[in-house]
Amino acid sequence: MSRKKPAEGVAVWIDERLGSSNFVRRSLNKVFPDHWSFMLGEIALYSFIILLLTGTYLTFFFDASMHEVVYNGSYVPLKGVTMSEAYASTLNISFDVRGGLLMRQIHHWAALLFLASIVVHLMRVFFTGAFRKPRELNWVIGTGLLVTGILEGFAGYSLPDDLLSGTGLRIAYGIVESIPVVGTWVGFLLFGGEFPGHVIVGRLYSVHILLIPLAILGLITFHMMMIWYQKHTQFAGPGRTEDNVVGSRFYPVYSAKAGGFFFLVFAVLALLGGLAQINPIWLYGPYNPSQVSAGSQPDWYMGFLDGSTRLMPNWEFRGLGHTIPFNILVPTVILPGILFTLLGMYPWLEARFTKDRGYHNLLDRPRDKPVRTGLGAMALSFYIILLLAGGNDLIASIFTFSVQTITWTLRIGLFVIPPLVYVITKRICLGLQHSDRELLHHGIESGTIRRLPSGEFIEETVGLPVPYQITITGSDPTARPALHGAAHAADGLGDEHAVALPEDHMVVDGQPKPRGFFRDKSAPRPEKGQRPEATAPELESTGQVRRPE
Amino acid sequence: MTNPADPSDKGSIRDRLQSPVPSSEANSGGDSRHSDLTDAGFQQTDSRGALHARGHDEGQQGVPHATPVTHAHAPLDPALEEAKARAAERKIAGLFLASFASVIAFFFVYFLAPFKFTEPNNIYFTPTLAVLMGIALGGIGAGTVMWAKNLMGHEETVQERHPFGSPPEERAAAAELLVAGAQESQLGRRSLLRNTLLLSGGALALLPLPLLFDLGPYAHKERGLATTAWKKGMRLVRENGTPVRIGDLGLGSIDIVFPDVPGGNMMADAPTMLIRMQPGEFKPVKGREDWSVDGHVAYSVICTHLGCPVKLYEQQTHHLFCPCHQSTFDASNGAKVLFGPAARPLPQLAISVDADGYFIAQGDYHEPVGPSYWERKP
Amino acid sequence: MTEGRAVTSTKTGPSRFQRLSGYAVVLLALALVGGLYTAFAAPKSNAADSTSSEQSMAVKAGRELFLQGCSTCHGLNLQGGAGGPSLIGVGESAVIFQVESGRMPLYAGTVQAPRKKAKYSIAEIDQLAAYVGSIGGGPSLPKGALNDGQLQMGGDLFRTNCASCHNFAGAGGALTYGKYAPPLSPSSARVIYTAMQTGPESMPRFTDNQLTPDEKKAITKYVEFITKAPQPGGNDLGRYGPVPEGLVIWLVGIGALVGLTLWIGARA
Repeated sequence: MSRKKPAEGVAVWIDERLGSSNFVRRSLNKVFPDHWSFMLGEIALYSFIILLLTGTYLTFFFDASMHEVVYNGSYVPLKGVTMSEAYASTLNISFDVRGGLLMRQIHHWAALLFLASIVVHLMRVFFTGAFRKPRELNWVIGTGLLVTGILEGFAGYSLPDDLLSGTGLRIAYGIVESIPVVGTWVGFLLFGGEFPGHVIVGRLYSVHILLIPLAILGLITFHMMMIWYQKHTQFAGPGRTEDNVVGSRFYPVYSAKAGGFFFLVFAVLALLGGLAQINPIWLYGPYNPSQVSAGSQPDWYMGFLDGSTRLMPNWEFRGLGHTIPFNILVPTVILPGILFTLLGMYPWLEARFTKDRGYHNLLDRPRDKPVRTGLGAMALSFYIILLLAGGNDLIASIFTFSVQTITWTLRIGLFVIPPLVYVITKRICLGLQHSDRELLHHGIESGTIRRLPSGEFIEETVGLPVPYQITITGSDPTARPALHGAAHAADGLGDEHAVALPEDHMVVDGQPKPRGFFRDKSAPRPEKGQRPEATAPELESTGQVRRPE
Repeated sequence: MTNPADPSDKGSIRDRLQSPVPSSEANSGGDSRHSDLTDAGFQQTDSRGALHARGHDEGQQGVPHATPVTHAHAPLDPALEEAKARAAERKIAGLFLASFASVIAFFFVYFLAPFKFTEPNNIYFTPTLAVLMGIALGGIGAGTVMWAKNLMGHEETVQERHPFGSPPEERAAAAELLVAGAQESQLGRRSLLRNTLLLSGGALALLPLPLLFDLGPYAHKERGLATTAWKKGMRLVRENGTPVRIGDLGLGSIDIVFPDVPGGNMMADAPTMLIRMQPGEFKPVKGREDWSVDGHVAYSVICTHLGCPVKLYEQQTHHLFCPCHQSTFDASNGAKVLFGPAARPLPQLAISVDADGYFIAQGDYHEPVGPSYWERKP
Repeated sequence: MTEGRAVTSTKTGPSRFQRLSGYAVVLLALALVGGLYTAFAAPKSNAADSTSSEQSMAVKAGRELFLQGCSTCHGLNLQGGAGGPSLIGVGESAVIFQVESGRMPLYAGTVQAPRKKAKYSIAEIDQLAAYVGSIGGGPSLPKGALNDGQLQMGGDLFRTNCASCHNFAGAGGALTYGKYAPPLSPSSARVIYTAMQTGPESMPRFTDNQLTPDEKKAITKYVEFITKAPQPGGNDLGRYGPVPEGLVIWLVGIGALVGLTLWIGARA
C-alpha cells in the first residue's frame, strides 16, 4: 500500500464516509447458483432497463396531444391528412427523426419481450416450486409486475392514436362502461366524457411514463432486494442443501455473465428493432371512430382477454331498469380478476392442501410434483386456448376455416382440453418418476454379461453415480440437515408417488452414511431461530461430503 | 487467481459463531468459500478439468474476510492451458474489436446515409443501423460472457444461508418495544385522542377524491350516452360531406354516412351504414315497416358489444361481421345477432327521402348506440 | 412470397445479407404459419397492355371464346343455367375481374371462388369482356391509367371502405362462415378497380355515385402502394398486425434468449 491508486483513493474516501467496505465485500461474495433457467427473470429486468432508455428517448419527440393538425412530414400517403398531434409526432419519430424508427421499434419489441420473459420466468418459478416459503411475497410481487406490465403495455401502445390503438381504446371504454353502477362514471372520469374525448392520450401518457413505470420500478426493487436477502433457490446436487447456496460468486464470474447477458438481450432487441417491423402505425392510419381494420388484435399479452371475449356467449341481463352485460363483464373483468387472484394466492393454496409450511430452498423437479405440474400445464393450456381464440379470425383467414367453427371448437376445447392436459401431464410425471426409480434400484446396464454358477446369465449393472442419485432423490443423502424441519415433510403434491427409498439405500458402498452434512443430524433439532451452532454450519466438517468410493 | 487468505484476519468462522453475539456477517454473505466436492461424479468444479487435491486447504476455507480462495490448480500441462487461454483471449478481443468497428460504422451510417423514406433505398437505413447496433452490443455481451466462461474458470462456491426468521427473543423484544411505545404515547388510554385521530385521518385520506371529480364532465352523462347527433330531417352525408341520394347505391352496396353537422364524420356514436338490398330480401322488424326506403336500410355502425365499427357487409348473405370479436348480425332481418358475443341487434336508424331525393333521418336512434352500460334502460 | 416483394421491387438489388437477415428473423414464425404464404402464391397477372382491336372483331372473337369455355354453365346466350348465373348486364368489368383473377372458370364448388392462375391471356379476356359487355351493357373500365389517383385521398377512402374487410395493408381477413376477404397483393390494377365496380360474391358494390372513378383510381393507387412499395423498418411479418409480432417475440426473441442462457449456463 505504498502507492495509492486513484480508484483506491476514491474507495477509501467513500468508505470513510459510508463505511461501505463491509457491504461491498459481502455483496461481491454473494453466491448465485448456476442454472440456465435462473437467467430468465434477468431478461425481464434488462428489457425494463432498455424500455427506460428507449422510452426516455421517445419522450423527447412525442407530443401526447389529441389536438388536430394537418400532417406535413415526409410520409407521402398521409401528407395533408388531418390527424392528432400524437399520431403526427409518432409519424415524425418514424420518418423524420434519424434512427427514431429504430428506437420506436426497439421500445415496442422490448415491451413484448418484457412481458414474455416475465411469463417464462413465472413458469420456471412455478414448476420448480420456487414460490414456496419463504418466497411467497416475491411471488406476489411478480404477479403484480405481470399485471402492471400488461397495463403499462396497453397504455403505451394506445398513445400513438392510430386506428388500431383507437379501436383498442374503444373496447377499453366499453369494458369500463360495462361495470355495474360505477361504470359510466369511471368511463367519464378516465376519458373526460364520452368516448373518445380529447384527453385520453394525454392522461395515458402520464400513466405510461410516470405512474406505472414508478410502480414497476418499486416492485422490481423489492423483488431484487428480497432475492438478495433470501438468496437464490437451487436444484438438488452434491453438497447442495436447504441451508446453503452453491454456485459462483457475484464478483467476478456471475457479474461478468450477467453483464454480458444484458448486452446480449439488448443486441437481440436491436436486431429485432431494425429487421422486423412492429406496429407500423403509418399503415394503420390516424384514428377515426367509423374506421376499422380486419383482424384488429391487441398485443400478445392482452390476447388472452381478447380471446375470452370472443369465446363468451352473448349473455346480458336486462331488467329492473338496468343492463348488466355479462358478455363483457365475465371475460374482461371477472375472468382476469379470478385468474390473477388465483395466481397470486397459489403459494398459500398449495400450502393449504399439502400442509407443507416448511422452508424450501431446494427446488423441485417438475416430475416429482405431479399434481402441481399437472395444474400448471392445465392452466397453461387454458391460457393458450384463450390466446388462440384471440387470433381466431386470423387462423380462419389463413387456413380458410370458418371463424364460427373455430370459435365453437375453442369454446368446447376451453373446458375439455385443460382437464385432459392435467391428467396426461400427471401420468407423464409419474412415468418419469417410475423410470427414475428403476434407474436408482437397478443402476445402469453395463453391457457385461456374466454367467452365474447356476448357469443363469445376468447382465451386470453399475450403480447410478451419486450426482444422478441426488438429482432423482432431490437431496444429497450425505448432506441432509433438514434445518427447517418441515422441508421434507410428507407432501400431498406428489410425495405419495415420490421415490421413497430407505435412507440406507443411498449409501453407495454399504457403509453407514454419515448422519448430516455439517453436523450430526441425529442430535435433537434446535428450535427455529436459535442462531448459534444449531443453524450455522461448522465448516471443518465439510470433509464428510466426500463419499467413500 | 490464487489469493491465500490471511489466517490472522479474524479467526475461523467457528470462533466467530461461538462468540456470544452472533455476528451478522457470519451468516449473511461473508462466508463464501469454495467447496471441494470432487468425487467421481462431480469432477467439473474446475473448468480446466483438473481435479482438486483432496483434503487441501482446510485452513484457508475458514477465512471469511478474504476473497474466497480459488483452489490451486494442478493443470495437466500448463503450457497447453496457457495456449488455450491465449486462443480464447484472441477470440474475445476479436469480438470487442468487432463491436468497436460497428460503433464507428454506426456513426458513419447515421450521419452520412440517406434516411428519409422518400429517398431511394432508404428502407435499408433502419435495418443497417440495427445490425450495426446489434453487433456493437452483441460483441461486448458475447465477449464478456466468453471471458467469464473461458478465462475466469468455473467455480463452485458454497455459501451458507442465514436462517430466515428472527430468534424468538428478538421478536419478543421488538414486540415489547412496540407495546411500550404505545403505552408511552397513551394511545390505548386516551381513547378520545385515538378516535378523533382516526376520524380526521380517515377524512384526510378522502380529501383528494373530490379533486378527481373534474376529470370528467358528468353533466348530461346519461343523455350523452343515450343520444347521438341525428335529428329529424337531417341529411345522411358521406365522410367527405356529400349527401346520399336515392339511386346512388346499387344493389348490394353499402355506404358509411354521418349526420350533416360540423364534425359529424368524427363523432364516435353517429356513424351509420346505409345498405341497399333487394326489397324482397329485406324483412323489416314489426313496427319498423316505414323505417326503410325501397330496400335501403340504415343501421348503427357501432357494435352493441364493445363498440367496434361493424361494417363488414356481405352482400350475398347480408351478414354484418365485427372484426374485433366476430359478432355476426343479419342486415336483412333487423340486424339481429346470428353469432358471437353481442347480445343486442344493431340499432336501426329510421330514414326517409326528402323532396330532392336525398336520404334524411326520421329522428335520432330509438335506443342508445353502442355497448351496454348500467343505466341503459332495457 | 409476400415478404419478398418489399425488396425485389426496388431498383437496386437488395444486399444478400440484409435479405437473409430479414428472412432469418421471421423464419420461425413463417414455419409456424406455414400454409399462409402458399395461399398467397397466386400468380401475378401480366402487366396489362392490351391493345384494343376493332370492337366488333373483339366481340366476335369473344363470343367464340365464350361458347368454348363458358357457355356450359352460363348458357349459350349468357342467360345462365343450372351451373352459373346469367351474365346479361354484368358488364365488361365483371368479366375482367372474374377471369383475370382466375376465379372463372370455376371448377369445384367451394364457399367462395378461389383465386387461381388466369386461364386466358389479357387479350382474350378483353375479347370475352367485349362480348359480354355487348349484351345488356353494365360497368366497364374507364379510359386512362387505373392507378392515376391521389395517394392521400386513396388512403383515407381505403381505410373507410376497404380496410374493414381487407385489413389495413390489404392482407385480407376472415368473414362469416368460412368466407374471407382475399389479400390484395396479387391483384392487378384492373382487378382491384373492377372488384370495386362489380362487387363480386360477398363484396359490396361501389357504384360511381358512391365512389367516383377518380376516387376508385385513388384507392387503386393506394392499394398498389401498400402492397407493392417497400416499407421501412425491416420485414413486414405479413402485415397481420400484432399476432405475428407476438409469434416473433416468442419464437425468435424468447427462443434466441433461452438459447443464450443455455450457452451462458453451460460450462466452457
